[in-house]
Amino acid sequence: MKPAPFELVRPATVDDAVAVLADPAADAKPLAGGQSLVPLLAMRLATPATLVDLNTIGSLTGIDDTADERVRFGAMTRQSTLVRSRRHGLVAHASAWIGHTAIRSRGTIGGSVAHADPSAELPSVAVACDGVIGVAGPDGSRTIAAVDLFESMLETTLRSDEIITEVTLRRPQRWGFAEFARRDGDFALVLAVIAEVADGWRVVLGGVGPTPWRCRDAERLLDDSATDMSGLDEAILDAVADTVETFDDVHASAEYRRAMAAEFTARALADMADREPGDA
Amino acid sequence: MMTDATAPTRKEDHRLLTGRGRFVSDLQLPRMRHVTFVRSPMAHAEIVSVDVAGTVAAGAEVFTSESPGFEVALRALSALPGYVETDQPPLARDKVRFAGEAVAAVVHDDRYLAEDAAEQVIVDYQPLDVTIGAWHQNATAVTNGAWHQTVTPVHDAAPDNVLLQRTFEAGDVDAACDAAAVVVRRELVTNRHGGNPIEGRAGVALFDDGKLTFWSGTQIPHLVRNLIADLVGLAESSIRVIAPDVGGGFGVKAVLYPEDLALCLMAKAMPGTPVKWVEDRSEHLLSACASRDHRYELEAAFDADGRLTAVRGDMWCNVGAYSVMPWTAGIEPLMAGGLLTGPYKLDNYRCTVRGVATNTAPAGPYRGVARPATVYAMECLLDSGAAALGMDPLDLRRINLIGLDDVPYRMPTRLVDDTGHYDECLDEAERRLDLAAVREEQARRRREGGRPIGIGVAIYNELTGLGRAASAGPRMPFRTGHEACTVRVNPDGKVVVLSGVTSQGQGLETTLAQVVADAVGVGYEDVEVRYGDTDQVLWGFGAFSSRQAVIAGGAARLAADELRGNIVALAAELYEANAHDLDLIDGEIRVAGSPDPIGNLADVARASWLESNRLPAGFEPGLDVTRFYDPVMGAFAAGVQLAAIELDPATGGIEILEWVCVEDAGRIINPQIVHGQVVGSLAQGVGGALYEHLVYDELGNLSTGTLLDYLMPTAAEIPDFDVGHVEQPADNPLGVRGVGEGGTLGPAAVIASAIHDALGVELDELPASPDRVWSLMRRAEVGGSP
Amino acid sequence: MRDVELAVNGRVRALRVDDRHTLADALREQLGLTGTHLGCEHGVCGACTVLVDGEPVRSCLMFAAQAVDAEITTIEGLAQPDGTLHPVQQAFSDCHGLQCGFCTPGFVLTAVHLVETHVVDAAAGPLDRDAIRHELSGNICRCTGYQGIVDAVERAVEIRLR
Repeated sequence: MKPAPFELVRPATVDDAVAVLADPAADAKPLAGGQSLVPLLAMRLATPATLVDLNTIGSLTGIDDTADERVRFGAMTRQSTLVRSRRHGLVAHASAWIGHTAIRSRGTIGGSVAHADPSAELPSVAVACDGVIGVAGPDGSRTIAAVDLFESMLETTLRSDEIITEVTLRRPQRWGFAEFARRDGDFALVLAVIAEVADGWRVVLGGVGPTPWRCRDAERLLDDSATDMSGLDEAILDAVADTVETFDDVHASAEYRRAMAAEFTARALADMADREPGDA
Repeated sequence: MMTDATAPTRKEDHRLLTGRGRFVSDLQLPRMRHVTFVRSPMAHAEIVSVDVAGTVAAGAEVFTSESPGFEVALRALSALPGYVETDQPPLARDKVRFAGEAVAAVVHDDRYLAEDAAEQVIVDYQPLDVTIGAWHQNATAVTNGAWHQTVTPVHDAAPDNVLLQRTFEAGDVDAACDAAAVVVRRELVTNRHGGNPIEGRAGVALFDDGKLTFWSGTQIPHLVRNLIADLVGLAESSIRVIAPDVGGGFGVKAVLYPEDLALCLMAKAMPGTPVKWVEDRSEHLLSACASRDHRYELEAAFDADGRLTAVRGDMWCNVGAYSVMPWTAGIEPLMAGGLLTGPYKLDNYRCTVRGVATNTAPAGPYRGVARPATVYAMECLLDSGAAALGMDPLDLRRINLIGLDDVPYRMPTRLVDDTGHYDECLDEAERRLDLAAVREEQARRRREGGRPIGIGVAIYNELTGLGRAASAGPRMPFRTGHEACTVRVNPDGKVVVLSGVTSQGQGLETTLAQVVADAVGVGYEDVEVRYGDTDQVLWGFGAFSSRQAVIAGGAARLAADELRGNIVALAAELYEANAHDLDLIDGEIRVAGSPDPIGNLADVARASWLESNRLPAGFEPGLDVTRFYDPVMGAFAAGVQLAAIELDPATGGIEILEWVCVEDAGRIINPQIVHGQVVGSLAQGVGGALYEHLVYDELGNLSTGTLLDYLMPTAAEIPDFDVGHVEQPADNPLGVRGVGEGGTLGPAAVIASAIHDALGVELDELPASPDRVWSLMRRAEVGGSP
Repeated sequence: MRDVELAVNGRVRALRVDDRHTLADALREQLGLTGTHLGCEHGVCGACTVLVDGEPVRSCLMFAAQAVDAEITTIEGLAQPDGTLHPVQQAFSDCHGLQCGFCTPGFVLTAVHLVETHVVDAAAGPLDRDAIRHELSGNICRCTGYQGIVDAVERAVEIRLR
């Protein structure tokens, strides 16, 4: 289980990285923390001719608050930093659910979002927090809304010559998180993120479909409830169970996943109810 | 200082903790080259052609079934009537029989380059019909022992895919069933899973000067030497097999694999070049032996008092694509049928077992061999019986357990149980669990609400230290009852033990040193234990069937006792004392009642090895004894597990609240190592009961080919086990019983029993994954119970 | 191929690696530091865990060429030159936290980080057995059933906090 040959390029700047990615002859892929990509290389399921190591680009790290009350994470911010810095309560909490300590020492927020595993925590959190993904390519920079980034299982709308430079997230006024995995640290069988951001509610489920899934019916119920959420839970869970489209695999049937989607939505609601308001 | 029943610092620990272990995968030799196997992506196909031109162009050596020497095949032999012998080539010839079977081997300067070159091997396959299941796939008839017709048999020699079938029969089963108060029936399916030692299989082979040296992470070096000799065309004496530190075995490495043979054949074709293969995890999941892929259709009859009067039924064991060398396809079915009824008294028994070939990886030995599945099956029958009779499940078991008055007890399969300490183990387990308190909490939750609690039980006998009369394996061309041990005093007075067993983590270096140090009368630190090298050690069958402490320990004790006698006799002459008055303590020769030693072992040893002028008449030079030991029978070990689990009704998740295991280990040499063996085997049992499952799709591709999908439990899933012992000395030189496997036997039964206890529902399929338990609970709710 | 210098266990070592060589393979095959073991090569089992700038990292998921500016600690770098074990190693031996020893280097380095982090931040709360089990869940041991390993970490924390 050894990777096929490739050339490792270690650029100092985003422009240098993008230049390599834009060169069709290089057949290049960006390498962030490597915690998902390197296993694919080892199994030779991915065989790029060039790997562009983003770990050498200093400008891709750092966390700061933006003028509009959002938090901007440099794409190469390590997941261990996300947990420790506690600059964004939901991000810190959800990141602690990512794999294990040794995974989080290398894994990055940008890498996780770019890998687009629907069972991973950060893609769902990004959708729930109205994430805006900053991207650099040969033609300059652009932004993509997180909801528009995730196209299908492990597929994004990023072009092959683009890299994620930053992930900007709203701070929810309130949020709840719940995850169900077979073993401690496994990718989620189902995870649920509930967040009240700016103008409305987000109910996002991971692990149920090819991309993080927003349950719009549940969001509407919450949006319409104004401040009184009592008695809503049942209707929210029904909305999730009735509208989720899910699948069978070796770990669970679709029927089970559907039930767990509702159950962990309930647990995320309960988690939210338990949280101090200052936890944002 | 005697070390008996203490835990001195393990001799293995320092090197393993500082990164200086000597594992085969760590071995680096001059001129060494590296091997990658090209494995079949198809489960069943004819090989139309193998094109290696690109590989050769890449600078690699390539071997296929056409290469000189590769026309041989592994053939697991057995004299059992009706056993169909089949061949397993070192590299697939003409057709492949499971996805992951090695078709070609590529040798290059490092593993990276070898894997590159392997990608250039182009194999053209013509797909054949695939058989995955041993009982449902392509089945046309499954009654009265007649087996189904298959579309394309795995082996032409077995058109119905049945490699072995045997009926165990005792008493008048049908009459007993007719006369019974109740007869319960269960249809059960157990989950394929496997050993997955953290170090995969590994080998380095070097052919030089007419001698083959094979470093192998094997549990059975002498057997490998013996079995491989003819196949590689060398005299057994020209082969040296070395098993150094081995990173876990669990039975999976007690097999001679086609890769082992291929490696040795490659070495022979490349004299002077060591060739190294280290199995990666993907290869392990695809091609190492798996186990416990079984189906049981069983009935149990009870009289009105709860006495078990008959068991009858059928079992199917999926033995995969090949009959494993040397244990044969019979290893699981025969163990399953032979030990199903375990520690329960029974006169009337009829069970037909079948080993059915399929297009999946071969089934082989894995810690507990079949019994984690059969104990589950038997305990399910007892729980159903208790429910049908309205009896407490533990009371029903107590009525039927083999007791002290019954031993030696001849089981319906003619095995003789020499322990009757099940009741005692059960008493101790109930005490440790505080059964009454758990029952009270269970009742409280039923009254007041709260997550349901269930109490699960498993009672079993672990068949350990098998001597020639109960030898492991089905009438193979050898009997595994004995083991040799040489104990030697070197000229400096230090003691060396050369033992036939091997160790894959069980701490035999430590345990045997304790046995010998105490028996000879030297310090533990002055004893060095060596094993695993066929050029150093006289003879040994190796590690399997929980035999090391009983048989190797027995041989070590016999040799050490005799050596001590020789030392004392010589010392008596040298120091002009009466041998009866002499004692050897911590390497010093003492006269009873005298405060100062009169000599020491180093002096005696020096006289013996170097100063023949000092040797009295009648004494030959040298202090060296070799003894064999064979316990002839075996030492059954009683075991009981009792656990309280909590169910999450929303998810079907299981939380283990408490788990007690009480076993009869006989006399305990090293309590820490015994504890570690029990806890480690319990954890593997829990893994198999709750998490681990090798799943194939309908085309025969493994769906669980990574450790993200094949779920071995981590520290977070495994509870702290409460381990107790009753120490009933067994009839062997050390009074010990094996403890390596018992822990694995209980968990599946315990979980099923606990779910039954909590909810009254029957778990008929393993593992008890949350989705399965959730479905079971939902069906029970729909059905209106509990 | 490229020439790199790796700072391993306090020594700078020059070696020539292929870009695709993992840190684990470079340590094992080129530097002879075979204490770092490979159990799965896809980042699940944790046997290859080493410390990179003090943080536990899967050395099968990092390339040697990426480790040039880092301080790497492997299992060989823990004990004193005279063989005296690091307190965590000693605790593993005392508590029978290893059997075959193959997963052990990864567990010990994970535990060293855990214990040291906890000692620095003892205010973060008690490191009870459940917390230890959670923190160790990125490493798989097939022999011990984990009980001895959890015992060892508990003991190492006690010793370090003494």
